[in-house]
Amino acid sequence: MDGAQLTQQIINGLTLGSLYGLIAIGYTMVYGILRLINFAHGDVLMVGCYIAWFAAVQFGLPWWVALMGSMVLTALLGVIIDQGAYRPLRRAPRISALITAIGVSFLLENLGLVIFGGRPKAFARPEVFNQIYEWGGVRVLSLSIWVPILTAVILAGLLLIIYRTRVGMAMRALSRDMVTVQLMGVDTNRIVAITFALGSALAAAGGVFWAMKYPQINPLMGILPGLKAFVAAVLGGIGNVVGAMIGGLLLGMAEILLVAWLPELAGYRDALAFVLLIGILIFKPTGIIGQELPE
Amino acid sequence: MSRRGWFQPGPLPAANTTRKRDTRLTILGCLAAAAGLYLLEGHADPYIVHMTCIAGLFAVLAVSYNLINGVTGQFSLEPNAFVACGAYVTALLTLSPDEKAASFILEPIIWPLSVISIPLLPALIIAGILTALMAFLMGFPVFRVRGDYLAIVTLGFGEVIRVVANNAQSLTNGPLGLKGIPHLTNLWWAWGLLAVTLFVIVRLVNSSYGRALKAVREDEVAAEAMGINAFWHKMLAFTLSAFFEGVAGGLLAHLITTISPSQFTFMFTFNLLIIIVVGGLGSTTGAVLAALLFTFGGEWLRAVEEPMSLFGLDIPGIPGMRMVFFSLILVGVMLFMRKGLLGRYEFSWRWLFALFRRRPAS
Amino acid sequence: MSRELLLRASGLSCRFGGLTAVDRLDFVLAKGELAGLIGPNGAGKTTTFNMFTGRQKPSAGDLDFLGRGVIGLKPSRINQLGMARTFQNIRLFDELSVLENVLVGFHGRLKANFLSAILRLPGYAAEERRMYERAHELLELVGLSALSDERADSLAYGQQRLLEIARALATGPRLLLLDEPAAGMNPQETAGLARLVRDLRDRMELTILLIEHDMRFVMNLCERLTVLDHGKVIARGTPQQVQNDPAVIEAYLGAEAQAAGGEAPGA
Repeated sequence: MDGAQLTQQIINGLTLGSLYGLIAIGYTMVYGILRLINFAHGDVLMVGCYIAWFAAVQFGLPWWVALMGSMVLTALLGVIIDQGAYRPLRRAPRISALITAIGVSFLLENLGLVIFGGRPKAFARPEVFNQIYEWGGVRVLSLSIWVPILTAVILAGLLLIIYRTRVGMAMRALSRDMVTVQLMGVDTNRIVAITFALGSALAAAGGVFWAMKYPQINPLMGILPGLKAFVAAVLGGIGNVVGAMIGGLLLGMAEILLVAWLPELAGYRDALAFVLLIGILIFKPTGIIGQELPE
Repeated sequence: MSRRGWFQPGPLPAANTTRKRDTRLTILGCLAAAAGLYLLEGHADPYIVHMTCIAGLFAVLAVSYNLINGVTGQFSLEPNAFVACGAYVTALLTLSPDEKAASFILEPIIWPLSVISIPLLPALIIAGILTALMAFLMGFPVFRVRGDYLAIVTLGFGEVIRVVANNAQSLTNGPLGLKGIPHLTNLWWAWGLLAVTLFVIVRLVNSSYGRALKAVREDEVAAEAMGINAFWHKMLAFTLSAFFEGVAGGLLAHLITTISPSQFTFMFTFNLLIIIVVGGLGSTTGAVLAALLFTFGGEWLRAVEEPMSLFGLDIPGIPGMRMVFFSLILVGVMLFMRKGLLGRYEFSWRWLFALFRRRPAS
Repeated sequence: MSRELLLRASGLSCRFGGLTAVDRLDFVLAKGELAGLIGPNGAGKTTTFNMFTGRQKPSAGDLDFLGRGVIGLKPSRINQLGMARTFQNIRLFDELSVLENVLVGFHGRLKANFLSAILRLPGYAAEERRMYERAHELLELVGLSALSDERADSLAYGQQRLLEIARALATGPRLLLLDEPAAGMNPQETAGLARLVRDLRDRMELTILLIEHDMRFVMNLCERLTVLDHGKVIARGTPQQVQNDPAVIEAYLGAEAQAAGGEAPGA
């Protein structure tokens, strides 16, 4: 592989990794506070994509309006799922909440199949993202440049919320010790709702970029990115927002480079994330940067 | 009076006479079931027979899955992988060399498999042993974690197996799968396997080993402190359940005659999960009951997917509604009826007698 | 005193991050002793038990039980060697019956493998019968026979503590570690417990080490006490010696003063 190809692959890896990272943040934030693997996260992403598709294709709204609208409505969906399905089980054994999350995940997928049909829908790429840049043999889609940049902006915004606002402080405190924070008079339910809203909005953003990248959507599209993003979150140390982004970037890079260097293993690409996950659990259960795995 | 009087969660320190009576009743029940199967085989239409076979196999899967998830409390999500393993191994062993050569178009099948063809029974046993071996090897990394991590890692293993089945052309024929598997599974195979599975698992659960498995579920730290090696007991439950899942997978392959990786996705595991949750995590008889309900109820639910006519109004069929219902059932059970149908209790003759003794009094 | 040595800890330490829970503990137990481990909250008593039983790996030091090093062994292995414990925060198998809880205790010593258990081979059947007999005897001993079919979590607090003792005895220990066995018991129950503990030592030739906050219970029962404070041994000796030790009085009063003034150091 020559330099140009390598550069191209690295840009591809960054793009894919950013998307994994955006999705992983939602997992890591919810897990950090509730110790719940929100199985439905990937399917929330799928719903976000359909919302954006309706806005952009059916109503002809500009892409950024569609994106914003999708983020807001998906955030709302995240909150509804939490309040309706997870909140009643806060005191139940953790496995009950996990089973419920699996149920919600399948519910969203199958409702998607019933309402939108199983046939993939084309997701038009806006002009800005559809340019092809070429420098010295490196050919990249403008989307691949924009995704990491927009991801960085979104991440910066999120970190501002987490580290510079009262809500963010409450979130960090909750992830340390829920009982004490409750005793101090913080409305934990509100904070959990905001966490779901933020995580879901980020999933919607990640999903819309994902849809532009491939460029099509279907009701089962959220499953694999969702699972892999969870692995990214574990890779980065679950509960750690920056770690989730780093984990996402690493996973994205690893997948792209596996295919680039060992094309005969391309078919096994989707298994890589899980092999990595098993490897981490064996050799470094705390993730790359992160806290201990819970018992 | 405690509820234990009628639903007995554990082995009974029962008097010998009651135990003899119960054994006789169980044998009688088995004979009655066999007579039922005989009548079904002779007189029912092939579709009903087919569904009854499916129901038996799903009961086997549910009972095995419940052993690790419900009895031992290790919430795992990989049965699709074990069933796939059993199905592929059995099919590859029973298919004739000519069939295999005809199926493997893209890449020829690897050597020893290309020439052998053995009868169903040894093939099933080999499939069960290989699946158990896979579970055994998998157990070493997997049981380093607990709870939701265990769930996600086992799910990951399931995905890896599916990806391998899709890509190992010369072994699995890739996405095309295997066709023309002889239709050898009948009611006797399916329900016979259920009888064997129930015999082994019920006996295990009601033995000292079963108590140890439940102790691991209830409190792993305390179980360890009482001299129970939690890791090896989880392994025991895991490999044993994998063995039966593998054998059931083999029979399933010889019932539906065509297999491909797309049949063994997480969706398959999801169906089993609904069954054991509805039956009551930890209850073996609950798992059997729920498996029968699921298979026949699921067929009945197909009605919602058909177009129908109500009071002269034509309602178009909604394909996919069945799965929406199933998802709602799972969420609903967790939210409103977390213990499922039987909770952790088991059906027992003693309970049945107590029930009848009560009736006249009330 | 030249009785045979059962357990010897030397330089045993446990650190969590910056906190030293137990600091270079030297400790010996002779066969047949009835000893106590006391100290204010957070002194490192339960951590010491956890290190003895293999639940917590020591950061440094040696630990010999019955003449062999046991550091690094799994808790189940250490239990099978003959060390059993109860838990401060009761950890019964809640959904199992009282009888089953005790039966579980025998499982670690079961000789029959799972196949002979499934097939109910004669060897297994005989073992199972013996287990039931012994379990009933143990329940009789702690006074819970009438409740053998109840669910463990339906028992009263004091009964649950007794059940934990019966379960620990089922594992056939040489050394029994009791973590606050009298906590939550009323005076009658406590008196009964004291009789039981003394009985166990005298008749079953057990060695017993207990952690307890009820000072009257400890002073009347134990022959030898070790006092921990902030992970260090501050006194050893007979109850009388310890009671009058200025360092012990200081530790208890100091802890109380601290507790009155604010939060006590973490438990």
